[in-house]
Amino acid sequence: MSEPSDASRSAGLIAAGVFDAQALARLQELDPGGKGGLLPRVLATYTQSLQRLLEQLRLARDAADLQGQRHVAHTLKSSSASVGALKLSALCADIERRLRDAAAEGLAQDLDPHLDALADEGRHVLAVLRQSETPRA
Amino acid sequence: MNAPATFADDDKSEQPRVLLVDDDEVNLMLTAIAMRERGFDVIEVTGGEAALARLDEIAPEMVVLDALMPGMDGFQTCQALRALPGYAHMPVLMLTGLDDDASITRAYRAGATDFFVKSTQWSLLAGRLRYLLRASRTRIELERSKFKLARAQDLARMGSFDWRRGEGLGQIWLSPEALRVFGKSSDERVSVRDLLRMVGAAQRRGLIRMLHEVVAHNAVLATDVSVMLFDGRQRVVHVEAEAEFEHGHGIGYTGVFQDVTDRRVAEDRIRHLANFDALTGLPNRRQLIWRTERALEHARRLGHSAALLLIDLDRFKNVNDTLGHAAGDELLMEVARRLRGCVRHSDQVMEGALEAAGTRSHRTLEAVGRLGGDEFVALLPEVTDEADAERVADRILEAMREPIFVAGQECFVTASVGIAMFPRDGLNLADLLRNSDVAMYAAKTAGRNAAIVYSPQLAGRGREKIELESHLHKAIERDELVLHYQPKVDVRGAKMVGAEALMRWQRGGVLVPPGDFIPLAEETGLIVPLSEWAVREAARQAKIWQQNFGFADSIAVNLPSRLFERSDLVENIHQSVSAYGVPHKAILLEITENNLMKDLHNVSLSLHRLNEIGVEISIDDFGTGYSSLAYLTTLPISELKIDRSFVRDLGITPQSSAVVSAIIALARSLGLRVIAEGVENLRQMDVLHRLGCGVMQGFLFAKALPPDDLEVWLKQTVLPRKAPWIEAAGEEPVPRVLGRV
Repeated sequence: MSEPSDASRSAGLIAAGVFDAQALARLQELDPGGKGGLLPRVLATYTQSLQRLLEQLRLARDAADLQGQRHVAHTLKSSSASVGALKLSALCADIERRLRDAAAEGLAQDLDPHLDALADEGRHVLAVLRQSETPRA
Repeated sequence: MNAPATFADDDKSEQPRVLLVDDDEVNLMLTAIAMRERGFDVIEVTGGEAALARLDEIAPEMVVLDALMPGMDGFQTCQALRALPGYAHMPVLMLTGLDDDASITRAYRAGATDFFVKSTQWSLLAGRLRYLLRASRTRIELERSKFKLARAQDLARMGSFDWRRGEGLGQIWLSPEALRVFGKSSDERVSVRDLLRMVGAAQRRGLIRMLHEVVAHNAVLATDVSVMLFDGRQRVVHVEAEAEFEHGHGIGYTGVFQDVTDRRVAEDRIRHLANFDALTGLPNRRQLIWRTERALEHARRLGHSAALLLIDLDRFKNVNDTLGHAAGDELLMEVARRLRGCVRHSDQVMEGALEAAGTRSHRTLEAVGRLGGDEFVALLPEVTDEADAERVADRILEAMREPIFVAGQECFVTASVGIAMFPRDGLNLADLLRNSDVAMYAAKTAGRNAAIVYSPQLAGRGREKIELESHLHKAIERDELVLHYQPKVDVRGAKMVGAEALMRWQRGGVLVPPGDFIPLAEETGLIVPLSEWAVREAARQAKIWQQNFGFADSIAVNLPSRLFERSDLVENIHQSVSAYGVPHKAILLEITENNLMKDLHNVSLSLHRLNEIGVEISIDDFGTGYSSLAYLTTLPISELKIDRSFVRDLGITPQSSAVVSAIIALARSLGLRVIAEGVENLRQMDVLHRLGCGVMQGFLFAKALPPDDLEVWLKQTVLPRKAPWIEAAGEEPVPRVLGRV
């Protein structure tokens, strides 16, 4: 089974509407021509990390662990920004800020709709990533 | 091969090692790749605990920490790292979120060097890393040099201090090294008062006055102070400091203390070694010369006599040859001890001013010294007459009578002593030494073990000298002496305004230069008839020139000072000019500045009388002697002659033209003429001219010429105005440096 090229993979991710073209281009600049296999490695790491963090988020929500939720949001915020999943990154940033404010002001907010949105987008990104792993027909 | 300066950070400067800590693998990976691409050696670690554990193994140059991490976060990691030995100054960069102000504050509080907002703009991060690295390296360099300085200061027993003006004595801070200079440990505090207390009461008052003076003017402080440390040790501390300013006001001083005791001791030792004979401990030749010169100065001033006794052991060589050098040395030491007892010997090392010790201070110059070998000298700075000196000589001979035990046997030693009296037998050390030597040899010749006072009859001279002398005697009668004349020229008018007569000796067809016979003539006294002849001859020449071309100026004749001391000088000159029917002013007398100063008192009387009859006086070699300017105003002088050494450097060194213009200004304000000698080129002429000196002599115009040649020179060069210097001088002097915009 042959790997899809960096260019075709990026194109797929962008076409799906969840990845930012500029961010991906910047990633590719780090590994001109794709010789170092950077893009697949980064995306693979991100995929694993995303999967793990979504699971962690679920557990933290079940346990009402605000600190755990905040950590997931924080981590996912910056790594998503790095690979260009900007919508997901923005959702994370929003949640992180809300959680921090809540902790600081002691206010109990209903964050469920936001967390749901985050989880939905996360799963969507994951799906797009998985799909891009195999070359399109 | 690496340059030595870079060997330590060779690898580091190529690839600075960065420890990157982030729990987010995606960011960790991306940041690492981006930084590697920008030349960093990145080691990735995913958590604070792991980072701390591997810190020593990784040995990074800097650490980049993600602020928020599960487990040990960036802040805790940073705090823990700072607590580790050796990591207090490690650069730590904290990565924070964009909207995370709280983390920034926490980062600094945790000891981070700086923070950086996470971004994918990798070049910004790389730039920040480089900046931190450079700052860190500069800091390390600074620490290193501070350490080196401290070590160097310690080795040099030196330490720095800062002093700030303030209430009372102000405040002083001493570095640990400076505290050590005063025997204090680095955690002790010392006040200005404490320091002053270490200075002995006698010195303290003067020191405080001096400090006030220095501080009042923000002047440089540099002095040596003797102190008694808290533990009672005596040390000499050198203090050197400069004022510190803020907005133009002196706010204090910064400087160093240095323990220079050892150097002082060494200097004293060196001074002693330089002035005293190692074997006998007596003053050596150098010290003797110094003492004798001071003693003669004093005797001259107060008009008393002094004596120099040259003591030479008889047949000392036999002792050395038969008993060996060790025995010889032993004997010399014993002789030295005995000689010392024959005079009021003083062992003080003397180099500085003697004046401070009072009017009888010359007594402390009295000493026996060792010239070398078995030659000793006794200096008696004040004696009433030669009998006084002879008594000391007898005491010396008496002291030798007792046998000396060396190498297990009795040695009988005798000495021969030559005595020279100041001022009768010589006016300076060289003459006195030579004449005491003559007397000492006379004593040896007369059978040794005796003292003889010098008299001129004793002087046995070298054969050649005697021969030269006898020839010089006859030179006058044989008409072998001639005068050559060097014209004095007024360059503005392009005319001759006089001539200097210079003596030449035509000995068997060879022209003997003055340097070869004048010193001998002076030594033997022949200079007197020689000079008298020169005056007569110059008067004769003046008459001939008067008839030939109307010469109405004067001929300068050089006279030694001893001639001015003769009472018949005025009569002689009067007779000489009268004999040829020229006016007195046809003869101008030149005396060198040094000669004039040597015997000012005796000379000045003559000068006045010469002046009265119309003979003018010129001071030769002016500027080279040590004249007091006061005499210039009191002596009847007509002319100053600028020494050739200043003329030579004109237009080359600014100092020479400064001296020349000072002499010219001096002459002008005293109403004296000024003439420059030794003018050799147009450059010198031009400068002199511009400085206001128009009368000159030198090779540029003519060398000293036989009288007939001088007439030819006048006819062929001066009158037809055919010489480069006439053309050059014809132009108006233009102020080339100033003026002309």
